[in-house]
Amino acid sequence: MSDLIYFEDVLIGQTHRFGHYKVTAEEIVEFAREFDPQPFHVDAEAAKQSMFGGLIASGWHTGAMFIRMINDHAIPGSATTGAIGFDGLKWLKPVRPGDVLSVESRVKEKVDAPSRHGTGIVKIESRVLNQQDDAVMTLTSLVLYRRRNP
Amino acid sequence: MKYFEDVQTGEADTLGSHVFTEAEIIAFAKKYDPQPFHTDPEAAKTTIFGGLIASGWHTCAIMMRMTADTIRRNHLATTGSPGVDSCRWLRPVRPGDTLTGRSVVLETWPSRTRPFGFVRSRIELLNQRGEIVLSLIGLSMYQRRERPA
Repeated sequence: MSDLIYFEDVLIGQTHRFGHYKVTAEEIVEFAREFDPQPFHVDAEAAKQSMFGGLIASGWHTGAMFIRMINDHAIPGSATTGAIGFDGLKWLKPVRPGDVLSVESRVKEKVDAPSRHGTGIVKIESRVLNQQDDAVMTLTSLVLYRRRNP
Repeated sequence: MKYFEDVQTGEADTLGSHVFTEAEIIAFAKKYDPQPFHTDPEAAKTTIFGGLIASGWHTCAIMMRMTADTIRRNHLATTGSPGVDSCRWLRPVRPGDTLTGRSVVLETWPSRTRPFGFVRSRIELLNQRGEIVLSLIGLSMYQRRERPA
């Protein structure tokens, strides 16, 4: 019928590397003014005086950029229908203007629970990397995949 | 200022409220999470959600805004967060929903090496029917009133 990847098709241990998201000062400040107006996210001058030594992205902005890369590269071709949440999110390093982010993801576990709306849960471990290949954020997403045979 | 030493396990707070409009749900999703059930009210009708719903990351961002406003209002000496233990999007957030937030401190412990302490809290956002839509357990760092000896 289609060559979408359904719950049954997902293999534990599968890894993918994708994404190329250029972080700008304008976008850091725009996101933070709306959602996280702390001085080190919205005010370049005040940020210099903070423990971060300069403007850094809100951790939730990094999360938003992560889900954008997932939308652009991982969701097409997959029979996913959203996620129920995530575990173990760590903000490991500051994200600064000029950084270029990408994602490395690995299928960790499939939860063989009773079907909810014909879906199954796949636990996917992702690392968001900067241009030095340093992990800036890691998390395990709980993604809903439709079942080929609900 | 409210420093690490002033934070007590079990203390609870409210986090204000936020009304989700259809326009802001679509604007966030077009930028960061363009799945049809977040961006297209018509297409959303045919999905398992039966209509437009906010991106879970948008709900988290609003939770952050409510927290940032609380930090400012209560003069909390916080200095960011190292992460979130768990986050669950328990129910869809739809246009017109009014969310309120509440938090409770689960645990506190000082950093051994740096002049701040860690606070683990549960934060919940509820809709206008009192249903929990977002539940998360997160960490925050607070500056210490006095530097460790």
